[in-house]
Amino acid sequence: MTFWLELIAGGLITGGIYAVVAMGLNLQYGLMRVMNISHGEFLMVGAYLTWLAHTTLGASPLLSLPFVMIVLFVVGLGVYWACFRPVMKTAARTAAPVEVIEARSLLVGFGLMFFVQNAAYLAFGADLRGYSYLAEPLQLGGMRLSANRLVVFGFALAASLALLAMLRWTLVGKAVRAMMQSPTGAQLLGIDTRILHPAVFGLGLAFAGAAGALLSMVYEISPSMGEPYTVTALIVITLGGLGSAAGCLLGGLLLGLIEAFGMHLTSPSLKMLLSYAVLILVLLARPKGLFSR
Amino acid sequence: MRRIPVVYPAGATIALACMPWLLPDFYLSLLLTCLMYAGLAVSWAMFCGATNYLSLATAAFFGIGAYVTAWGFQALGYFPAVLLGGLAAAAFAALVGAAVLHLRGAYFAVITFGLGELVRHAITYYEKTWMHTVGRIIAEAPESTTVYFTVLVLALAAVAAAVAVRDSRLGLALRGIGQDEGRAQTLGVNTRKAKIAAFALSAFFAGALGAAMAVRWTYIDPPTVFNPFIGFQTVLIAMVGGAHTIVGPLVSSIVFSVLTEFLRLQFPYVFLIVLGTLLIVLVLYLPGGFASLFDKRFFRTSDAK
Repeated sequence: MTFWLELIAGGLITGGIYAVVAMGLNLQYGLMRVMNISHGEFLMVGAYLTWLAHTTLGASPLLSLPFVMIVLFVVGLGVYWACFRPVMKTAARTAAPVEVIEARSLLVGFGLMFFVQNAAYLAFGADLRGYSYLAEPLQLGGMRLSANRLVVFGFALAASLALLAMLRWTLVGKAVRAMMQSPTGAQLLGIDTRILHPAVFGLGLAFAGAAGALLSMVYEISPSMGEPYTVTALIVITLGGLGSAAGCLLGGLLLGLIEAFGMHLTSPSLKMLLSYAVLILVLLARPKGLFSR
Repeated sequence: MRRIPVVYPAGATIALACMPWLLPDFYLSLLLTCLMYAGLAVSWAMFCGATNYLSLATAAFFGIGAYVTAWGFQALGYFPAVLLGGLAAAAFAALVGAAVLHLRGAYFAVITFGLGELVRHAITYYEKTWMHTVGRIIAEAPESTTVYFTVLVLALAAVAAAVAVRDSRLGLALRGIGQDEGRAQTLGVNTRKAKIAAFALSAFFAGALGAAMAVRWTYIDPPTVFNPFIGFQTVLIAMVGGAHTIVGPLVSSIVFSVLTEFLRLQFPYVFLIVLGTLLIVLVLYLPGGFASLFDKRFFRTSDAK
């Protein structure tokens, strides 16, 4: 019994991180059709920033989390201005703007992925890095879980819920949702894409950075750590439905559970196969996401 | 559409066929890489350039072909293995295409990107569980001139197929799909059939090239042959050259292979940083590839794209 509880807890913890990773990407894709395939690379940047702050300044990873988010938000503004704003601008003049934005932003994303990943290799080398933080195990209702994983789960859940609350109740959130429903209608009501697009892109990267900072507390980090998370984020978005933040949270937790149980019942080396099988099944059976009505 | 006089391709073919006797080994192997990427990029553009789909499955097809050689080389011989590698990749593409070709845009790209990883993990798992080894050794490779001529024939066949498809009803259907799939359907095109056929055809060449090149590595394991870099490089070459043309990918495959050969080994990280930057700059400022420069200057009347 305890074993199964531990399995469920492990799945939920992984799933919580998946949800945070996916949420930033989902926001960007849902709002402006920018499929930023280098999302995981910025997660890696967040992880390295946290690691640097911890090893050189001795800063607590939890304290540096907000700073990492702010840094990545600013980086996001810069990346949007340099790379994605021109895509949006030129695409608006073509016959099928949405398709053009999707295709070109995907290629730009690949370019960014090469750039950021290899810049990190140059700066930090290919070695695995890590630090130990709150690694002692905790007893919780008979389950043994390490403290850092619980903290990570708590923060992941809090970040996801904060984003959900922001989208639901604040004016900015309402503007974002309006823009997702009808870009033209929202613009007619005076919502300015020139401010909202960069802000949301930056917010997406800030969430990627937060996920990276959280991951660095639990796992070892390397410049190529980001790629698998990008793919996982895409699977979560597909599960939860495009542009749906709540679906993203549920989808992330669900994928974490599926992976945990699937790996236990078959074999750990089948993790990727399992994720892809889920992705393809969902795309074939419910292409709009599991929770769509 | 612009016609190139038959003299140029015929001359190029004869020149390329003479190379094994003219060039030292190092340059011959560089030329082999050029030919491989030319074949891959042209066959990629055959489907993706016309339909505006972004397929990242090249690495999967290439790896499948290479694994067919690894498994069947000893039993079948080289040429049947190459043919079988192409057919296996084409069959795989048709199967997968039937399932995912109704998706467009980012979804399609991501799924096809995952395909390579999926096949790679499946083969690794299979080898680990049932064969108890990962990877295999190719004991007696055919002579390098045999490999060279095989790859040359495949690359030429890919170009010939691209020309044939472009001039056929299938090519017309594919371009129709690229511009507006709904409209193509309304006009009576069976878009599903056309897409699957072209996807499988382009996969055939990627698979056959993988099977032909596999003997160049003496040791084959999943990470080598399912290297996503092969897929990225192919897409990049085709996009940089101009995916809606045939000459564009051919020319840029030469440029890229030479650059890769000389820079990648010496400055691996800087090379990829430059490659990434180049990709971004190109997409932003020259989305039609370098071929679009020439379109504008010399061929204003060519069909707009």
